[in-house]
Amino acid sequence: MKKTPLNERHLALRARMVDYAGWDMPVQYEGIAEEVKAVREKVAMFDVSHMGEVLVSGEGSGEFLNWLLSRDVTGKQKDQITYAILCYEDGGTVDDLLVYEMDDGTYMLVVNAANKDKDVLHINDSIETYRNKFPDRKDEIKVVDDSAHYGQIAVQGPESLQVMLDLAEKLGLNAEQKEQLQGLKRYRQIQVDKEGFERKMIISRTGYTGENGYEIYLPAELTVEVWDLLYDYGVPASGLGARDSLRLEAGLPLYGHEMAEDITPLEGDMGFFVDFSRDFQGGEAMKARSTRKRIALVSEGRAIPRDGYPVFLDDEEVGVISSGSFSPTLGKGIAFALVGKDFPEDATEVEVKVRKKFENFKVIDTPFVKK
Amino acid sequence: MTTVKENLRYAKTHEWVEVEGNVATIGITDYAQDQLGDLVYAEAEPVDTEVDLGDLIGSVESVKMASDLYAPVAGTIIESNESIEDEPEQINEDAFGTWFVKIELSDPSQVDDLMDAAAYEKFCEEESA
Repeated sequence: MKKTPLNERHLALRARMVDYAGWDMPVQYEGIAEEVKAVREKVAMFDVSHMGEVLVSGEGSGEFLNWLLSRDVTGKQKDQITYAILCYEDGGTVDDLLVYEMDDGTYMLVVNAANKDKDVLHINDSIETYRNKFPDRKDEIKVVDDSAHYGQIAVQGPESLQVMLDLAEKLGLNAEQKEQLQGLKRYRQIQVDKEGFERKMIISRTGYTGENGYEIYLPAELTVEVWDLLYDYGVPASGLGARDSLRLEAGLPLYGHEMAEDITPLEGDMGFFVDFSRDFQGGEAMKARSTRKRIALVSEGRAIPRDGYPVFLDDEEVGVISSGSFSPTLGKGIAFALVGKDFPEDATEVEVKVRKKFENFKVIDTPFVKK
Repeated sequence: MTTVKENLRYAKTHEWVEVEGNVATIGITDYAQDQLGDLVYAEAEPVDTEVDLGDLIGSVESVKMASDLYAPVAGTIIESNESIEDEPEQINEDAFGTWFVKIELSDPSQVDDLMDAAAYEKFCEEESA
């Protein structure tokens, strides 16, 4: 199994480890409920070094990515991060990702660990498709999987800025960088040169918890040092279990659940991140084949919905739970479900078959946990 | 570290069984509660349910996981512990002190097929290795 630079730290903290997409990852340290609470009320940190970093560089790469992804990566400020979806020609979803523009014009695509290798294959295949489709465009596109050289730590929670400013001090960021960090807006990034390291440290105001937070991309060799600085400052570690609960509570979709090769971005209710005003790979195809939509459910009783449980409306099976869990913050069962496109807009209640019983759930708007 | 209690019998599906006369009291082991994590839901099957070996006798869920309890012995459920529905956390706090159901045995010899404490301890070590 693959190990992140922080593997020994997790073992020393006696974390429960699981195989996550081929990585030996911590699912929980002290307990999921406690770790969720830390992020909602204070701050916690996550090892997310398993995430992939794929570099797309060379002449014409911005224009190529505009065609490859569900939204443009060009025509915005350099420090602005783009969340976009990578689609197959048939409109199915390959992955969802963040695009960072580096100082030298290279684009860094941050992708899901489980999808990284297939993403790289798909991007390389798509270069050929792109060149055939646009023979007049000149390009020197190069795709490099740089994941092994990066560690990543997410610092999330209402006290995360305070923690980051302390870290910036200890890492010796200059006055200008500290000021940038202090005023960093959501989905913006700063890049910091670290002496002795070829790769830059990137700090972005991003996350997957619904709380204010930051993600730090680090040269792999620097990851343990930064983790230890955060730990010594008193930031507790939080595992993948809490991360998944937090993202669901925040109403955020997850690849493999609300997005997949057989689920289009429109079916997964990702339309906000799909810009049809321009031509892009899979765009027309996804419009034609989308037959479902995503709804959000909250339990009226004690029942906890789980992935794969069937959803019923007026005794008729209308869909299936795509992500279901107990919400530690609400103390209730919450879920996303994929239902037919004709599921009535005004439906306020459904039933979910939980084991042998039909349990009542309310249809609600996300996020489940409102800030 | 989780504990194993002497004088109980154990199933491979991590139920403990305490036999008194013709009645078996059943719960989940300390090892099982630890593997599941903080329990947020628990339910026992109702009184008068007749169960064969391996039939459903209860369910537990943590934030991330759902798991069922299976009858380690056949018989009829004569008592069902409803307090676990309101306070599933008591199972985390005291797994051997929190029972789910009491079953009147239809075949007491089935108890002999269950593991003793030493065998179960070894079974858990092998499972977590």
